Amino acid sequence: MNKNFTPKIIYFMCNWCGTGGAESASAHHLYYPENVLPYRVNCTGSLSTVLILRAFIDGADGVIISGCHPGDCHYEDGNFRERKRVATIKSIIESLGLEEDRIWFRYVAHGEGKRFVDTTTEFNDYIKKIGPNPLKERSDT
Amino acid sequence: MRGSVLPIENNLEETILNFIKEAFDKKCIEAVILPKRIPSGDSFAYLLIKDKSILEGASPFPPVIPVQGAKAISSLTRQGSVKKKILAIMHPCEIRATIELFKLKQTTLNNLIFMSYDCPGVLPLSDYLENPDENDQTFLAAQQKWDSKDMRPVCKICTEFSAPASDLHIGQLGTDEGKIFLIPNSSVGKEFLNAFGLNSDVPLDEWEAEVEKLKKERENNKKDAQEKLKTKVEGPENLLETLSSCITCHNCMRVCPVCYCRQCYFDSDAFKFPPDNFISKSEKKGSIRLPSDTLIFHLGRMSHMIHSCVSCGTCEDACPMDIPIAQIFNLVADKTQQVLDYKPGRNIEEPLPTVTYQEEELQEFEKPYSETYIKVEETNV
Repeated sequence: MNKNFTPKIIYFMCNWCGTGGAESASAHHLYYPENVLPYRVNCTGSLSTVLILRAFIDGADGVIISGCHPGDCHYEDGNFRERKRVATIKSIIESLGLEEDRIWFRYVAHGEGKRFVDTTTEFNDYIKKIGPNPLKERSDT
Repeated sequence: MRGSVLPIENNLEETILNFIKEAFDKKCIEAVILPKRIPSGDSFAYLLIKDKSILEGASPFPPVIPVQGAKAISSLTRQGSVKKKILAIMHPCEIRATIELFKLKQTTLNNLIFMSYDCPGVLPLSDYLENPDENDQTFLAAQQKWDSKDMRPVCKICTEFSAPASDLHIGQLGTDEGKIFLIPNSSVGKEFLNAFGLNSDVPLDEWEAEVEKLKKERENNKKDAQEKLKTKVEGPENLLETLSSCITCHNCMRVCPVCYCRQCYFDSDAFKFPPDNFISKSEKKGSIRLPSDTLIFHLGRMSHMIHSCVSCGTCEDACPMDIPIAQIFNLVADKTQQVLDYKPGRNIEEPLPTVTYQEEELQEFEKPYSETYIKVEETNV
């Protein structure tokens, strides 16, 4: 593991559960790595595949997406929509031999501050282990 | 499966054209859509034919696909369904694309009767245009021997060459010399054969066996071809090298039958940025290519339509830079459609994967959480 490498991580979270998890973390004074950049969307179901790809191709080392737990979605099936999109994107990326494991999808509920912090830390450690994303250095993307 | 036997008079094309003429006479249909050679002689175009005499010299089995048939059908029915019975003769991939467009609400299929055939593949468009006369002979020979060596790369590995999605299917495999099978796949197809007084109860075991055999062969070819392609496109280095000759003309998107959007996201204002954005990006990367966003265009287009990709290969025909784009899409589509458990054009009743969601599906894409995760090192707090 390269000690000097600080990954850039984009964290897409939904307005209702993912963001709530982050709020709970702050209420409990839990800390998450500073290099994780939270990016709030109204519902993960509204998160376009192109935005995820934009982050994956143009600068991020890793992308996490957090929505509500199954059945908890504010809009009934937004988290399932996003799960299908993540499945599509990950299959595309995997079949072209790019690193699909740089994209994670994990539910975080409102109130699960520890789960939010654990997710960020675990992902941060994982990205540090596998190193920088080769695509972010490429000028011909 | 059961169907009818039709004797071939002179040659296959003439037999089918006579069959269509008879259908006109019997009032089974009032118009027909099929390709005919254009006056200059070097390409083909779909025609909606109402006058029987224009059928003379039409080519139900063209050696190339200049315009995808699904585009022809959707241009006809964009403003509503047709009121008269129309027969359309197309390649199986074109019919599958039409079914996808129907599911995407871009066409209506009322009163349309589809006729497909065992497709030996088609020639690459650019190769064909170089010498149409010679290539016509090549295609004819390949069609008779079921030899796909000169066909397009995606045709060589196509396993859906014999579509069960049409109303009426022309079986050429496993037939005796001078005969073809007419196979009804729907009640419309059955009615059609009844009107001709054909016995549609002949067992087709030979055809089925022959189709299975060719399918197995093609599946093996597909595995080999995909392994070979992977060595060329797998990994960021290889993939960007293959795509680096892309001139961002977006032809692949424009000719794609499934890319139906009037305004493509990648042509829209949502995909245009102020100059500062480019400058800051080039500051980070050292330099950036202009126009940029080649990779995100191809991957993004995939993420929008890959579940409906029928691997018809029109994108590769349209690519001026000879990027093996259809082969790349085929490779990705295979994997993605397997994950989503969906085959485009398989069944008209089957809903698109982007409109149905279940609670218990694709759970392997959720990252499992364990409470006992131990930090590897102190984070930089």
